Amino acid sequence: MTAERVQELFDAARTDAGFLKTALYVEEVAALAYAAAAEGPLEGSERAQALRFAAHERRHAAAFETLLFALTVPVREHARPSDLDSLLPGLRDAPRRPALRQLAELEGAAIAGQQLIGRRLLALDALRTVAVVMASGAQHLVVLRSALRQTPLTLAYETGR
Amino acid sequence: MTRAASRLRGGYTRRRFLGAAGALAGALLAGCGRDAARERPPTDPQVLAALLRRERAAGAAVAGIAGAAAIARQDELHAERLASLAGVALDPVAGAEGDLVAALARKQEGVFAYVNALPRLSDPDLRVLVMQLAASEAEHLAALRLAAGEEPVPDAFAGFTAP
Repeated sequence: MTAERVQELFDAARTDAGFLKTALYVEEVAALAYAAAAEGPLEGSERAQALRFAAHERRHAAAFETLLFALTVPVREHARPSDLDSLLPGLRDAPRRPALRQLAELEGAAIAGQQLIGRRLLALDALRTVAVVMASGAQHLVVLRSALRQTPLTLAYETGR
Repeated sequence: MTRAASRLRGGYTRRRFLGAAGALAGALLAGCGRDAARERPPTDPQVLAALLRRERAAGAAVAGIAGAAAIARQDELHAERLASLAGVALDPVAGAEGDLVAALARKQEGVFAYVNALPRLSDPDLRVLVMQLAASEAEHLAALRLAAGEEPVPDAFAGFTAP
């Protein structure tokens, strides 16, 4: 469900500003998601890791906001806790494994959306920032998959997943 | 604004300045009758061939690392795809290094190379491919660190803002 919703958001964007606003929104939701997971389902070292990743996501969002500023596009709205509840319903009260799965699904969907931007973005210099954020998300995904006792490496190149 | 965002923006500012300076230099050279062909941007196959060399270096560094067989397999697939698209022969991987520090360094260089190549690719499909390869290399870095008991994601920007 989360992946489909995120894909719809990226699919709906039509301009460079739209792509970057969507990417910003998804990173903001991811920051809220990691913070919520740290407050609720996760404990110990996983909680600490979630807090670190929440900080990463906030920095990614700041990078996208900087790109939008460079395109003279004002950012007036930011993701709110209700957006988190809409995009990742039940995360706050989920048990550990389902929470980790939801986070992994969000990271995977964000990566897929950022790769879609790679195909459609016209401002190619901005694509470097998108790719850096995507690479960071891929590293988060390794940690989440490892915590879920899955193969840490995705088949990002072989199958796009 | 965070320090990282500022640094990224600073990078773009420098790039734009250098790009403008390069364009001016190119125009002057053309006006002086120099060979304009030298100023042409690389073609997509040339960009991919350069990435292949990086990929091979990273592959060689990983090949001797214990427990990195899955990474080595993915590296080989990356190289095969790049060679095919670049239209060049795939040389065998050089001797295995088996040094984790070297492997991490070569992998990080690979991520840098893939990301920096993106604006130079004209084919959107190739840009997506290179983003996928960048994601895969970034995963390799995190997986190698995780296996070594190190912090798997020490930098919020995949090594681009690491000290």
